[in-house]
Amino acid sequence: MAENKLKLGIPKGSLQENTLKIFKSAGFDIDVPERGYFLKIDDPEIECFLLRPQEIPRYIEKGKLDLGISGDDWILESKAEIIEVCDLKYAKQEIKKVKWVLAVPENSKIKSVKDLEGKTISTEAVNLVKNYLKKSKVKARVEFSWGTTEVKPPRFADAICDITETGVSLRAHNLKVIDTILVSSTKLITNKQAWQDKWKKEKIKDLALLLQGAVGGEEMVNIMMHIPGTKLNRILKFLPKSPTIKKLIGENWYDIEISCKERETRELIPKLKRIGAQGIVEWPVMKIVP
Amino acid sequence: MKKGKKIKIGIPTRFLLAPTLVIFKAAGYNLEADAADEKAFQARIDDPEIEGFLGRAAEIVRRVGNGTLDAGISSEDRVLENREKVIEICDLDYTRAGIWGKGKIALVVPKTSGIKTLKDLNGKTIITRFPRITKEFLKKYKVSANIEISDVPNESQIGKLVDAGAEFTLTGSALVAYNLKPLAVIMETSAILIANEKSLKDKWKREKIENLAILFKGARLAQEYSGLMLHASDEMMEEVLKVLPALKKPTVTQLRGENWFDVLTVANKKEIRNIIPKLKKIGCTDIVEFPLNKVVI
Repeated sequence: MAENKLKLGIPKGSLQENTLKIFKSAGFDIDVPERGYFLKIDDPEIECFLLRPQEIPRYIEKGKLDLGISGDDWILESKAEIIEVCDLKYAKQEIKKVKWVLAVPENSKIKSVKDLEGKTISTEAVNLVKNYLKKSKVKARVEFSWGTTEVKPPRFADAICDITETGVSLRAHNLKVIDTILVSSTKLITNKQAWQDKWKKEKIKDLALLLQGAVGGEEMVNIMMHIPGTKLNRILKFLPKSPTIKKLIGENWYDIEISCKERETRELIPKLKRIGAQGIVEWPVMKIVP
Repeated sequence: MKKGKKIKIGIPTRFLLAPTLVIFKAAGYNLEADAADEKAFQARIDDPEIEGFLGRAAEIVRRVGNGTLDAGISSEDRVLENREKVIEICDLDYTRAGIWGKGKIALVVPKTSGIKTLKDLNGKTIITRFPRITKEFLKKYKVSANIEISDVPNESQIGKLVDAGAEFTLTGSALVAYNLKPLAVIMETSAILIANEKSLKDKWKREKIENLAILFKGARLAQEYSGLMLHASDEMMEEVLKVLPALKKPTVTQLRGENWFDVLTVANKKEIRNIIPKLKKIGCTDIVEFPLNKVVI
């Protein structure tokens, strides 16, 4: 089986840190050499490359890579024909969504997409913007931007379309958002050839299972607590389903263990403490495979 | 929950920010606050019922005092310095990143100084960021000295421009670096969760703040604790239970069809260093230590 290798593209840049983290929880250690693009992964069946997420969909389409991670934005932008294996949406990213927004200077007369008729829009995602304009039935000039797009208006462009997470950079450049054109999420993608190869398909499916387990585990925790027998029924009523219950030897106390979403602990733990649970301990989960 | 109800809480910038972020995360909240961007002012928290604002610890005391914030994390020394009426909800027991526990505010003098006792400070000049606390302390000992107010650490000036200082110290390394020695400890200090008196009269706000306190304290305690799991045979059990700490009763489960037991407990990480070799000697197998998010006793 030594012949069989899966070529995997890992996105360089903003998706890199989370991607490596998910792989680590999934059980794969990836070593990123400084200034290197050939990554070391502790699985002899995988060959790993660090590439810009903009390029990964294209290389997958062409069969240079079998599998990769990229965002919806770059998959759409590259118009690459790929197969989406699964979503790797990071639950904890919730407040930091990758949004592509249309922005104009604060004092601009442009109030909505309709006002863009005949204007110039600067962006790194030309196709995304063209599609959006087409849908809105607006004709405007879309110019490719090599970066630092937010400094271009008003001199070099009337409007921009750029990624924003917090809006700080837009505010700093006196820009206001007039529309969101895409909320992007992270995807595991492959191509037809790989999907038809029995060995590769199986390997990819196994990987997807572990990666999704890691993403799911990221938002789950285990809780263990001691509960007096007199309060057992009351507490069981509001616990998530199927707790593990053990009676403590020789006492009217029970040990209860549950898995639940980390978010739910905010409400659950204070409630448990008020009712009389003792020794409440919460610990993180690595993977959840339903 | 009533729709649209919110509490406003203050998140401290500077030294207190890094450990505060750790505690929020372990408590189950995603808090985004860029330490380098104090101007950003608003901290983002993934809870629609909480609005977070960044500010200096002293500012947070004032704003919680006058009710513009419902609650906040500040430090004991800032509460005493500012004299605002705030209610202490709980002690979070940290002051700096990396080392959990309380710091001290101490009167310090150069190692070679002629000042040997508090009395020797009479008529001398003391520089400090904690003028009120220092004055009150000296008054108690009937010492009268000139207090010079500063708002930065002053180790480098003591012994050169001024006779003494009242400084914050955690590890004592700054004192060593500047050849200073502590003369007396004025107080111990750490981060605390404080709330506005009126906000606590609102039932919804009170519960929200108290719930936060439970989660923060649980998160804080978990920084020093780990979970411990092991297998022990029937004959070992008595000895094993003697070795394990009593913070929380261990959970013991019999392994199916065997004379062996699965034991699960939590213990202080520093204790665990000593416990694991002991358990090994007793004959325990499959000893696993794992990290915790929260410990609520």
